[in-house]
Amino acid sequence: MKIEIQGLNMIYSNGNHALKDINLEFGTGMFGLLGPNGAGKSSLMRIIVTLMKPTSGAVFIDGKDIQKHRKELRKMLGYLPQDFRFFTSLKTWEFLDYSGSLAGLRNKKERLSEVDRLLDQVGLLEARDRQANRLSGGMKRRLGIAQALIGKPRIIVVDEPTTGLDPDERIRFRNILSQLSQNDVTIILSTHIVGDISSTCQGMALLNRGELVFSGPPENLIKHAEGHVFKLHLTPYEYEKAKEHYDVISTIPVETGWEVQVVSDEVPEFNSVSIIPNIEDAYVFFMEHKLHADLID
Amino acid sequence: MAFLHNIRTVAKYEAKTLRRSWFFRLFSIGALVIFTFMNIGFFSPIGNEPWALVSISSSVPLINLYLLNIGQAIIVIFLAADFLKRDKKLDTNEVLYTRSMSNFEYIIGKTWGILRLFLGLDIIILSIALLMNIISKIMSVDIMAYIWYLLIICVPTIIFSLGLAFMLMSVIRNQAVTFLILLGIAALNMFWLWYRAGSIFDYMAFGLPVFKSGVIGFDNLGVILNQRFLYLFLGLALVLATTLLFKRLPQSKLHTGISVIFFFIFLLGAGICGFNTFSAWKKNVDEKNLVIETNRQFENRNVPAVTDAFIDFNHKGDAFEASAHLKFINDNREGLDRYVFSLNPGLAVLKVSSNGKDLTFNKINHVIEIDPGKILEAGQSDSVVISYSGSINEAFCYPDYSDNIKTTPYRIEMVNVNKRQAFLTDNYVLLTPETHWYPVAGLNYYPSNPARIKIDFTRFSLRVKTKDGFTAVSQGNIKSGNGYYNFAPDSPLTGLTLAIGKYQSDTIKVDSVKYITYYFPGNDYYKKELAELKDTLSFLISGIMRELETNFSTKYPFSTLSILEVPVQFYSYPKMSTQTRAELQPSMVLLPEKFSTLQNAGFRKRFTRLKRNMARNNQVITDKELQVRLFNDFVRNTFISGESYRFVNGVPLNEPTRYRLGPSFYFFKNNFYSSEYPVINAVFESHLQKVSIPGQAVFLSIMGGLSDNDRANLILKTASFRDLLAKNPGSDTIRIVLTLKGDYLFNMLRSKAGIDEFNKWFLNYTDEHRFQRIDISKLNADINEEFGFEFYPYLNDWFNRKEQPGFLITDLEAAEIVAGDRVRYRVSFNASNPEPVAGLFNVSFRTGGPGGGGQQMTGVFQGGPVVGGSFTISMQGRGMEAADISKIIFLGPNEAKKIGIILDAQPRALLINTLCAKNIPGEINKPINNIIKSKNKISDFTWEEKLSSLPQFDDPYEKIVDNEDPGFDKGQQISQSPLKRLLGIKSRGGITYQRIRMYNIPDYWQPVVQSTYYGKYILSSVYTRSGTGDKSVVWATTIDEPGYYDIYCFIGKTGAREVIRTGSADAPPPPGAEPQGESPYQDMHYKIYHDEGMEEITVDYENAEPGWNNLGQYYLSPDSAKIVLTNQSAGRIVIGDAIKWVKVK
Repeated sequence: MKIEIQGLNMIYSNGNHALKDINLEFGTGMFGLLGPNGAGKSSLMRIIVTLMKPTSGAVFIDGKDIQKHRKELRKMLGYLPQDFRFFTSLKTWEFLDYSGSLAGLRNKKERLSEVDRLLDQVGLLEARDRQANRLSGGMKRRLGIAQALIGKPRIIVVDEPTTGLDPDERIRFRNILSQLSQNDVTIILSTHIVGDISSTCQGMALLNRGELVFSGPPENLIKHAEGHVFKLHLTPYEYEKAKEHYDVISTIPVETGWEVQVVSDEVPEFNSVSIIPNIEDAYVFFMEHKLHADLID
Repeated sequence: MAFLHNIRTVAKYEAKTLRRSWFFRLFSIGALVIFTFMNIGFFSPIGNEPWALVSISSSVPLINLYLLNIGQAIIVIFLAADFLKRDKKLDTNEVLYTRSMSNFEYIIGKTWGILRLFLGLDIIILSIALLMNIISKIMSVDIMAYIWYLLIICVPTIIFSLGLAFMLMSVIRNQAVTFLILLGIAALNMFWLWYRAGSIFDYMAFGLPVFKSGVIGFDNLGVILNQRFLYLFLGLALVLATTLLFKRLPQSKLHTGISVIFFFIFLLGAGICGFNTFSAWKKNVDEKNLVIETNRQFENRNVPAVTDAFIDFNHKGDAFEASAHLKFINDNREGLDRYVFSLNPGLAVLKVSSNGKDLTFNKINHVIEIDPGKILEAGQSDSVVISYSGSINEAFCYPDYSDNIKTTPYRIEMVNVNKRQAFLTDNYVLLTPETHWYPVAGLNYYPSNPARIKIDFTRFSLRVKTKDGFTAVSQGNIKSGNGYYNFAPDSPLTGLTLAIGKYQSDTIKVDSVKYITYYFPGNDYYKKELAELKDTLSFLISGIMRELETNFSTKYPFSTLSILEVPVQFYSYPKMSTQTRAELQPSMVLLPEKFSTLQNAGFRKRFTRLKRNMARNNQVITDKELQVRLFNDFVRNTFISGESYRFVNGVPLNEPTRYRLGPSFYFFKNNFYSSEYPVINAVFESHLQKVSIPGQAVFLSIMGGLSDNDRANLILKTASFRDLLAKNPGSDTIRIVLTLKGDYLFNMLRSKAGIDEFNKWFLNYTDEHRFQRIDISKLNADINEEFGFEFYPYLNDWFNRKEQPGFLITDLEAAEIVAGDRVRYRVSFNASNPEPVAGLFNVSFRTGGPGGGGQQMTGVFQGGPVVGGSFTISMQGRGMEAADISKIIFLGPNEAKKIGIILDAQPRALLINTLCAKNIPGEINKPINNIIKSKNKISDFTWEEKLSSLPQFDDPYEKIVDNEDPGFDKGQQISQSPLKRLLGIKSRGGITYQRIRMYNIPDYWQPVVQSTYYGKYILSSVYTRSGTGDKSVVWATTIDEPGYYDIYCFIGKTGAREVIRTGSADAPPPPGAEPQGESPYQDMHYKIYHDEGMEEITVDYENAEPGWNNLGQYYLSPDSAKIVLTNQSAGRIVIGDAIKWVKVK
């Protein structure tokens, strides 16, 4: 399956230019959309799941414009929105049954069996008969992923799925998505939590203020940061000075003062060691340093 | 199909969600509880089983769904408006929006989900009703009515409410505003629009007459279906519009296309149905106006009087063919060159001939103008044959009624029933003279003279051809055979009625009158419920008829009396020209199916209840005796004393019930006419068929308020009789004015001829001239010949003058005397009429034995809508037995007389009825407390002595300010709400004289009249709810001479003691026992302004003397003097009447 995004623009009625000429292409597997809050991730997601029409541009799935083939797209779609907290007075299994029924599972017996399977998969079987609106935040998220998975969708779009989850839930969630990505499905994961991407995504895109600033495998993003991430051992005085000159990624107090990671185009003047960056370092380097530098250029 | 699957899925979960919402749960549980209790209370054998509701079985589902639908329509608004708000609020719903379904499927699914939930609730409640219906011993089950009402009441209402709510929410996108608009529309529907323009705006079927007769089913199915489909289609169109406006990207072009196409189709359907509904109403309005305009063209034309009519009637489904062979006489003073008849505008005249020769004619709407080719001279006779066919246009009937009144359904309890004046269908026919189903000489309405009526006494004969299995019913003797029914009434009739249906009949002959009941199969329930009466029925009927004949002092004029059962939709309006309603025809009464609207017709339930009550009170009564009582109650209520006395907005209204047999003794027997005074027959009828109002005088004397006479006098204060008639006033107004004018006219005749002498002569006269039209000038000549006076000259003033006489009664004295060798009582008084027009009043007495103070009169009044509860009023005092009129006194302009009357019994009070005069109340009650003993013997039993001058009413040393006088000020005390101001609703408070209300007492000073209050002509006072002293009334006068003045306030008491006992209207206390409770009148606070300032005097109402009570002596300078009464009191009511300043000599 190939998803192509061509020249996508989204301008809201209040003049907010949420997406600016986005061009993107990705295939099966997990694809991460990374960006700070307000970058345009949710707008892009909502356009992909046909909740919204772009101002211009198009999204193609296997060559078919989704605005013209909404029915086909919706048939193969599972969607978990960012704000999946409010439910009507339905029980957990009923909500899944409702989603399953609309996802095309017409046979009641098969549908109920699928409901139970998914509830089991997301660890909610025991909460089967509980009111969905009385589940905990994590359980609601799991119910959300279960409803996105029902009907065996080929495209799964999850918007900020781990926000607000505790570490256990987040790990569990990532695992579920990783497992899914092994199948022949495309998962579009939108997040501003960099860790969600590094562990699971084969491809990714970085959005900032509606613009696509990077696309490609996470490794490529990391490559951009190689040689630009340093570990410094600083006295408190030096630390104050370093904060003024470099983008600090992390700060750990040590006996002699501070162990600090920074991103920089050049080797810092302090006692520094160049280290291999991870995706989080790469993200900071890219967003805070490279983009800023490009902007100045 | 994915399409249906998706709709079903959305519907299933929408219904599930809704079912679990607390709002719906509360509503449905509340509805289940209320309707279960209601059904048990109304329809179950242990319930009340009101006859009006249980007699026709379709009432059961109708009442249930009618009430439920109102609640449902409101709840749907809340739930439906919540629908989009919820969708908007819950991002969770977006996961559903990304599923593969079209907007059409989603919205239709939601709609169906809500609809099926409410329909489910409806069906559950209907099942409860059905259960009661099945176990009831009285009702039959009309299962089709359950289905019909569900479909025509609930489905369109819910769908329209949903569609409108969806649509508004989609457009406005603000739940609060949507709620307000929707609730406003619902309220407007219920309180304003429900009957207007043929109920076209009535989306809730709140006022739409959907009652299903047990005999003919729906009589207006076309109207009902059009009106309901209007809202069904409009609702569906709005639902589809919502799918198009729904904030989700559409998925299926096909479904969007279908939505667009069906949106327009439904809109078109709604338009067509709306047009049909509106045009049906508009057509009636236009046709009514056309009738009026046509009548205006012909109202001054002379018409012949039809003496004989043979009508050949051939029923053809919803039409008929007929020919009328008419013989007539020209009883006008001029010759006739054209014969003018009127025939229902729905009927087409095919041919007119005379003696085998075709005549030319014009049919202008409903008027047939025939050219006889000659002039029919006065007194000559002629005949024509008119062939015609077609159907009946009911818009022709009652053209004088406003469109609103005609289109408002009438209500049986709470259900709306269509008003029909005729039925002409394949299975049932009912044609009364009102429809002019045969040619009638004259018009049905005279626009310039609405009180005019043209009555012919015609010898009818009728031949009717019907389908097999159907029975024709009309007046007269019947002969049937070969599919024909021949009717030959044995006396001339004022009109002919025809009914055709699957009638069954029973006949009983009593005292040479044949009583025939025609009923629909299965509706003769009374035979079983009054089975014990079989062998005594003749005796009972004979007794009742004798009572009627005694009441009217004349024999029943016909040889038959048919009781004809007609569909419940049959309805008549009171007319200005006659009080006789179309339900009563010569020798025939048209009663509603199963007597559903008649009081006391539920014999079985009443039997059980009375039997139980009697057993409880250890009273022994046989079943037969009880059934006799039930039968007598029913017959008396329906045919003899029946009247509908009720309060409408606090105003007592009384109208004769439709089925009183009174018209048989005058209207169907005699007719007096006058070209100069066309109202004369209505006046005679009003007086001679007068409905007595038992208890009204007692009620008014206790509570204050206006009698019919008083109301009529107030009306006549502003307009002459002639001017009033030209204004086409309401039926109640015209009835009371006609009665008053009739009373006045007949009292005048009696005053001149002698009461007994005139009564006897006039009864003979009407009997001798039965079934004849009599010109009033002939009556005048005959009276002149018999009694030596002419009344005709008085009619000019009686008809045209607005001025009223006013009577003052003074110097009342009573003495015990010896007259004619026995002890009798002489009562004398002065009566004066200071006004410039003559008038008369009648005098009667309340008499009672010596020491009669021990008698007690107790009235129990059930509170009407204004009172809002029941209460008991006890009045201890003297006997209130009615007395016949002793004397009628005629007083010319500015004339005074001393009147003396001798009585056999001791008088307790002088009762004056001033009839047509300025006096309010017109019934004056002057207690006679002091009877002196006189040894004089007298021979004159009554006398009238003309006084040389008018007795002085006012004392020159006294200054009196009454609440009617200019010196009285009750301030601007009625504050009108801004909403009322906006809608232009006038407050009725404080304007007219009303009765004293013990509950919901007005917080303004309300005028009230009562004969014990002070006044020159208007004996009135003002009262208000007690308060803190923030409201007050002021009496002010100018003092001419300085000095000391005694100041008095007037307290008009109705009896020795008045109390209010709250709670249920149980049995009154035994005679002589003290009524318990407290008086509503207690302390009253007067502020007296005098030279030394102001002094507050408290008057204890309980201990105050009836009449003038001294407030003290004060020095007053020549200036304005003023007394203020505040609303401060420990009692519930404060009342103010008059203040008197008396110069100390």
